[in-house]
Amino acid sequence: METLLMDRVQSSLRLFMPKNAIFLCERLCAEFPTESNLQLLANCYLGNNQAYCAYHILKGKQMPQSRYLFAISCFQMNLLREAEAALSPANEPNSEVPNGAAGHYLLGLIYRYTSRRSSAVDHFTQALSIDPLLWAAYEELCILGAVGGASDYFSDVAASRIQQQYLSESSSHKISIGDEDRSIQSSRVLGLNDSSPKQPKNLHSNSIKEISNTHVVMAAGQAANSGSSNLSLYNTPSPVASQLSGIAPPPLCRNGFFNAVSCDGSSKPAANAAILAPRRKAMEEGRLRKVSGRLFSDSGPRRSTRLSGEATAGINSNASQAGGGTGTNHSSSSRFLGGFSSSSSKTSSAAFRTMTGRKGPSCISESFDEGRKTEVFGDSCGEDASATMSSVAIFVDCRYLEEDKINLHAGGLSVHDSKLINGIRELLGLLRTLGEGYRFSCMHRSQEALEVYQKLSQNQYNTGWVLSQIGKAHFEMVDYFEAARFFDLARRVSPYSLEGMDIYSTILYHLKEEMKLSYLAQELISTDRLAPQAWCAMGNCYSLQKDHETALKNFQRAVHLDSRFAYAHTLSGHEYVALEDFENGIKCYQRALQVDERHYNSWYGLGVIYLRQEKFQFAEHHFRRAFFINPRSSVLMCYLGMSLHSLRRNEEALEMIEKAILADPKNPLPLYQKANILLSLERYDEALMNLDQLKECAPQETSVYALMGKIYKKLNMHEKAMFYFGLALDLKPPATDVAIIKSAMEKLYLPDEMGDSL
Amino acid sequence: MATESEGEEDAATAAGKLTGIPQLSVEDDLREMANKAAWSVSSCKPGNGVLSLRDDNLDTYWQSDGAQPHLVNIQFQKKVKLQLLVLYVDFKLDESYTPSKISIRAGDGFHNLKEIKTVELVKPVGWVHISLSGTDPRETFIHTFMLQLAVLSNHLNGRDTHIRQIKVYGPRPNPVPRQPFHFTSPEFITYSCLR
Repeated sequence: METLLMDRVQSSLRLFMPKNAIFLCERLCAEFPTESNLQLLANCYLGNNQAYCAYHILKGKQMPQSRYLFAISCFQMNLLREAEAALSPANEPNSEVPNGAAGHYLLGLIYRYTSRRSSAVDHFTQALSIDPLLWAAYEELCILGAVGGASDYFSDVAASRIQQQYLSESSSHKISIGDEDRSIQSSRVLGLNDSSPKQPKNLHSNSIKEISNTHVVMAAGQAANSGSSNLSLYNTPSPVASQLSGIAPPPLCRNGFFNAVSCDGSSKPAANAAILAPRRKAMEEGRLRKVSGRLFSDSGPRRSTRLSGEATAGINSNASQAGGGTGTNHSSSSRFLGGFSSSSSKTSSAAFRTMTGRKGPSCISESFDEGRKTEVFGDSCGEDASATMSSVAIFVDCRYLEEDKINLHAGGLSVHDSKLINGIRELLGLLRTLGEGYRFSCMHRSQEALEVYQKLSQNQYNTGWVLSQIGKAHFEMVDYFEAARFFDLARRVSPYSLEGMDIYSTILYHLKEEMKLSYLAQELISTDRLAPQAWCAMGNCYSLQKDHETALKNFQRAVHLDSRFAYAHTLSGHEYVALEDFENGIKCYQRALQVDERHYNSWYGLGVIYLRQEKFQFAEHHFRRAFFINPRSSVLMCYLGMSLHSLRRNEEALEMIEKAILADPKNPLPLYQKANILLSLERYDEALMNLDQLKECAPQETSVYALMGKIYKKLNMHEKAMFYFGLALDLKPPATDVAIIKSAMEKLYLPDEMGDSL
Repeated sequence: MATESEGEEDAATAAGKLTGIPQLSVEDDLREMANKAAWSVSSCKPGNGVLSLRDDNLDTYWQSDGAQPHLVNIQFQKKVKLQLLVLYVDFKLDESYTPSKISIRAGDGFHNLKEIKTVELVKPVGWVHISLSGTDPRETFIHTFMLQLAVLSNHLNGRDTHIRQIKVYGPRPNPVPRQPFHFTSPEFITYSCLR
């Protein structure tokens, strides 16, 4: 009953029927209260978004997988301290983090959200070193600003590490097979029997024993994985079985194998071989690929290549290996065994070679290599595949043995290897490009990021994620038109994706496109009412219409939906500042910085508040922090210059302004600020020169003319002053400016008062 | 809330008499200033107190309950620039309770209020916009700590008065701090701030 229940639970999980899964699993746990069943139940709860249930049932459990699931539920319930304690207990500083890469990634997240940056970086790097394909960990490293170079992480070293992982998986697979767990085995057998069709049941039961051994190993590893692996295992034997049924010769081998099995207790090779033969015959590459794809989440292509390779040629080597392995049990040898011994020397070497090359095939090797129980089975995840692989391999082997095509085997294995290596290399290459681009983006080196993204293939380039990253890069360079264009493309490619849409709404805000912005906001909200980005867009819409209170409400909603979304906090801060509520503004910005210290917009916002409050030292400090994070932004440089000017450090101010002018020639503000500073330094002519330049690029700007008028007034060139004041007034500035300019005009012919507040 | 359209005022304005207009029309570069101010009234009937003046609900009103002149005091935390005062009154509903002569005073506190404007209302229905500017362009705004609105007399010689809503407007601050002038062209505004 236990296996039956487990099987149903897992298939319910797989088919997204959480309620069914939960009910059945609770019955299961009531009958057989083992910890792995509890893990399965926790899985069901987590799948149904009931982290609190998982929390309660797993509290205090010590198995690694339980600790991992417990940590996940704590994380979802925001109980970060308990999550941390579960993953790395305080009194066992050297205990291993459960689940390797995933565990390290989760720990890294916990450390990040409790503001322990260096530990976070540590764990993310470890996660990446264990599993180089864990992109999420790399992303976090970029956000924390601690990443050296994408090529470091997605390098050939990583490639070989992945290969080794697969290899070690298979080897550990073997060992686990040796350590048969009778109960699980039987349950596995049962399970397998359930899923596999009629006929080869007998054969299955034996072969299943072998396979189940491997399954057992995997099951012990991770509940979740074992679930899926069990399923996949169940699936794979069936085609095998069907294969079996169709093939006549194998029985001979099978019998022989079974004898051999009974002889030394590790009957896997025999059974496997028998199973393999028909399997190989019927299995096409495509099907193998599918199977392997299911078994191995991220090593699909490799597996398939391996499987196909195995199917075609591996058998021989397997056979040889088996032969070598079961050398002692050749008493009841059939042709098969004979074949083994004959080709043992040649194929065994080949087999060994292939074994090292791939994870899955290790099953084959393991099955045939009873003697070599030293190989360690690696991850449970791999186990399944390797088990299947082994069964496949065995089949293939058997087949080949019967046909005596040993040579093919050797050739096939190397094909496998190369395909595997190619697959790994391709994937790593792709990740490397994306990683470099993302890293440059996070370091705000937008130009370089854009160049890197250009290197992507058309297919990858035209995805929503890449296009919105490119849009973001343009946004950072204050090129709002291009950015808007790319975001538009991104929306067309994936209209359901909300990632990065908050930036798009900000861009539309800057461009003052009310229609587009409100349309975007409406669309986003109708797509997903629970996404913070949608509410940010809505808030931006209201803010553009100067309705700051409603905008603030929307941003607060976004904050409530996801308090770890830094931008929502920053935008609320901006609204508070617009409402002149500086205290709350400061609080919001600081909350944003708590979530993401490298969010330079918040540093900028704090700087602006302090500038308003005339706390110039603070302002300068905050602008400098922002500038440190994003050294390419001319706007930041400009503001830093302004704060330096307020501190009367005019030389430094001018330096910074010069940098700003160089950084972005399209930005007119640094020139204006420069003129302002020069005016205060009484270098009137230089100031006028700058303003003349500005006149060219922004002819409608009243402040330019007003400032020129002011300078001419200082120079006592009254006519020119009047002229420019008149020009400024013609362009209809806001009422305050009108008042100032008009009063300046009135006072033109009066002596200049000390410190006149123009 | 603020609309772009220009407020129309009758020829009666020229004579210093005002009638109300049905819509609130305030320029975009003005904003409501008195959210953080302290509001008080000289007297009120229970249930029709000072809160009704600020609740954005035109059905609720403040009703005075004492001798004339009835006063509404608005005190700010710091000196502010004010440009426009708007109040909502309705002769059709309130008849003899509708104010007819209003005096606006400004100063630092109760001790040195000085009258800056007097207006006369003639059967007003709707929002009455009272500009606080002087004739001089330098006097577009008044800088003050406190504003007092005094109802000197009502229509049909009523004793008490009803006012349904009062709003006070002043200029928006420059979004870019420490600048002598506002930026008006899109080129400047785009680069003027980060968001």
